[in-house]
Amino acid sequence: MTNATASSAILSHLHRADGSATFSQNGYTVIGAVNGPIEVQRRDELPVEAAIDVIVRPAAGVGGTRERHLESILQSTLRQIILIHNFPRTLIQVTLQITNTPEDKVAGSKIVQASSHLAILPTLLQTALLALLSASMPLSVIFTSVLIAAHKDGAITSLTPNPSLVGFESADSVHVLAFTLEGKLLLAESQGTFTLDDWDNILEMAGSVCVPKDGADIEGGVRIEETKEDMTTFVKCTLEAKVAQDLHWYT
Amino acid sequence: MPLDTSTYSLALLRLDGRRWNELRRLTAQISTQASADGSSFLSMGNTKVICTVTGPSEVKAAPGASGRGDEAVVSVEISVAGFSGVERKRRGKGDKRIYEMQTTIATAFQATLFTHLYPRSTITISLHILSLDGSLLATCLNASTLALIDAGVPMRDYICATTAGSTSSYSSNDEKADPLLDLNGSEELELPFLTVATCGTEDEVSVLVMETRVQVGRLEGMLAVGVDGCKQVRDILDVVVRARGKRILEGSQL
Amino acid sequence: MPREVEPSLNEKQFFVKALEENLRIDGRAFDQYRELDLEFGDELGVTDVRLGKTRIHTHITAEVTTPFPDRPFDGLFTITSELSPMTSPFFEPNRPSTTEILLSRLLEKTLRRSGALDTESLCLIAGQKCWSIRADVHVLSHDGNLVDAACIGVLAALQHFRKPDTSTEGESVTVYTLAEREPVPLSLLHFPYCVTFSYYSSTVEEGETVTLLDATLLEEQLREGSATIGINRHGEVCQIAKLGGVPLDAVAFLGCVQIALVKVKEISVFVSKRLEEEAKKRDKGGLMAELSAENDRVS
Repeated sequence: MTNATASSAILSHLHRADGSATFSQNGYTVIGAVNGPIEVQRRDELPVEAAIDVIVRPAAGVGGTRERHLESILQSTLRQIILIHNFPRTLIQVTLQITNTPEDKVAGSKIVQASSHLAILPTLLQTALLALLSASMPLSVIFTSVLIAAHKDGAITSLTPNPSLVGFESADSVHVLAFTLEGKLLLAESQGTFTLDDWDNILEMAGSVCVPKDGADIEGGVRIEETKEDMTTFVKCTLEAKVAQDLHWYT
Repeated sequence: MPLDTSTYSLALLRLDGRRWNELRRLTAQISTQASADGSSFLSMGNTKVICTVTGPSEVKAAPGASGRGDEAVVSVEISVAGFSGVERKRRGKGDKRIYEMQTTIATAFQATLFTHLYPRSTITISLHILSLDGSLLATCLNASTLALIDAGVPMRDYICATTAGSTSSYSSNDEKADPLLDLNGSEELELPFLTVATCGTEDEVSVLVMETRVQVGRLEGMLAVGVDGCKQVRDILDVVVRARGKRILEGSQL
Repeated sequence: MPREVEPSLNEKQFFVKALEENLRIDGRAFDQYRELDLEFGDELGVTDVRLGKTRIHTHITAEVTTPFPDRPFDGLFTITSELSPMTSPFFEPNRPSTTEILLSRLLEKTLRRSGALDTESLCLIAGQKCWSIRADVHVLSHDGNLVDAACIGVLAALQHFRKPDTSTEGESVTVYTLAEREPVPLSLLHFPYCVTFSYYSSTVEEGETVTLLDATLLEEQLREGSATIGINRHGEVCQIAKLGGVPLDAVAFLGCVQIALVKVKEISVFVSKRLEEEAKKRDKGGLMAELSAENDRVS
């Protein structure tokens, strides 16, 4: 509650799903489960690749257009990284259950639909990725994502990565960017007005949050400086801890 | 709207003039529709149900159909006529209460019919509710029993059902409360009641559904009256079945 | 959609053999519940119940709406329970399965029809404004006995929940935020919990019925009958659902009701203990403590 931006994750905690993860960031908590590859219904079947089904379920109430929109963004993003051609005519099912949102706390208890769907998108993306990893789903690459809020103050635009709810709502423009491990831009969703110069700055800042600096050796894993709080390091550390836990019997 | 049952304590007669342990008029007919494998018409008071049974027949070859290799599957369809109640109402398919009743009837008969004799087949019971005045589940179960007998599906014993209530609400005049047998629609609205179905002459309870709040001490009396009512129902159904059997043997109505 | 896998013949036989020797596969006694764990979320009205490997997340929300025209003095209370593919890939979204419908019906009968929540207390202006309380039951992991666990989850969440305070002046209602006024708890009249029994008869010796409590998923798949009894700790039975299945002796059934009463008393004690612990944890240096200190200084 106090340190809202700190991320935390638990892997493989649901026993019936093939893979699962709980991920909290920025006051949002999402539980994700992945099942697959499983049998697909005839109408959804694709002849040369796996169909990906993403289901986003809100903490309270039934999903509406906002959830459907988020599902379509997630679906097209995950299609790019999962090796779907390895599993033709199957289904990979990703279920994401939102359990905690900061909106609830501010409004007391009333169901308030967030003004924008972007706030929760990085958390959903990251949960989906961790759940896919937990399910040992073959991926071409992993990605990390960040939410950036831009405030205009005269000529200067200040950027905040992973803003609080207040920061998010007062922003002139908000952006969600996802990068692959190699630093390639995978997803960019923006809302609000901003200039092209702002965009360059946003891109640069998002890159620095998501992808480790050039010097860091992403292959070795050992050499990563623990002080640097980028998302890639976080994902790596979470997985390392999980693997170490699973192989604690192995000397 | 609360109903005035205060007169009960004066004459010990219920709204429709019955005493506590009396059933409503129960009429039953068997083999009412010639085209169906088995059929029946049953009315308990003003609750009237037509039942037809199809099967045992082959499972429709749909992908993912719930056919089971080792035994027959019982499936139940209930349709409530729009004119059955006081107010004309259209009931959609998604009614969870009806769905629950369908599941109840299906699982009750799944355990009583010799389904293992008919692997890879299905027995469909369709119930049409024509008039509605309490004891709905009980009437449906009784009608299904008759129709299944008519269809010639082997079963362990009759499933007979009835409802039992209690004159007390959950707190007031606990000592003086009487159990009641076979509640009608207006009594069901006001009093705690349960639906009980027994299998055979022993006190073997197959279905027991209660949706209202009642003290645990009341339950024994209600259950005892209900089980006793089921025996009465069984005798009535037995007479109908035997009469039908006799007619067939005489060759008068084959 | 693929169908749920049925237990294999080996599993079945192993289970039956064990049952004949008065053993359950996980080593529990026949009338023993699995380990019950109840966690509360950061927000009010959020609970996470774990019963063995079954895990259920419940979320209570409240909003102001108009009451139904035929019930102008009653607020709204809805319970929604949907089994997502997270629980098991055999559940299809937007097409309710039998498990799901029966779960929601049982919760509805136990909690709503029995009047656990006083809906009249939710009325703000008769016929115009009332609170609508909504309980979302999310099943995260299904290892049997969803009904009992969901019931504990919803009731604990209802007790944990606080709705914002309101004041009514004539026709206008003011809803105060958490910072302005301390939110108020819901008015609950009684606490009915569910206890589910599973029956096995043909698997064991003739004429004998084995009764298990808190069945796991495997035990649920193999059972021949079940009964769910909703009862509160004062011995008021709110709901009984023995929906078909293997016939059971009437006297034995009354015994089950007595067992249910004992179990419900245990569950009630556990839930109130956890609620007390939670209240203590929240009380310390929470927002409420801050507010009361401010008031002292002003006066």
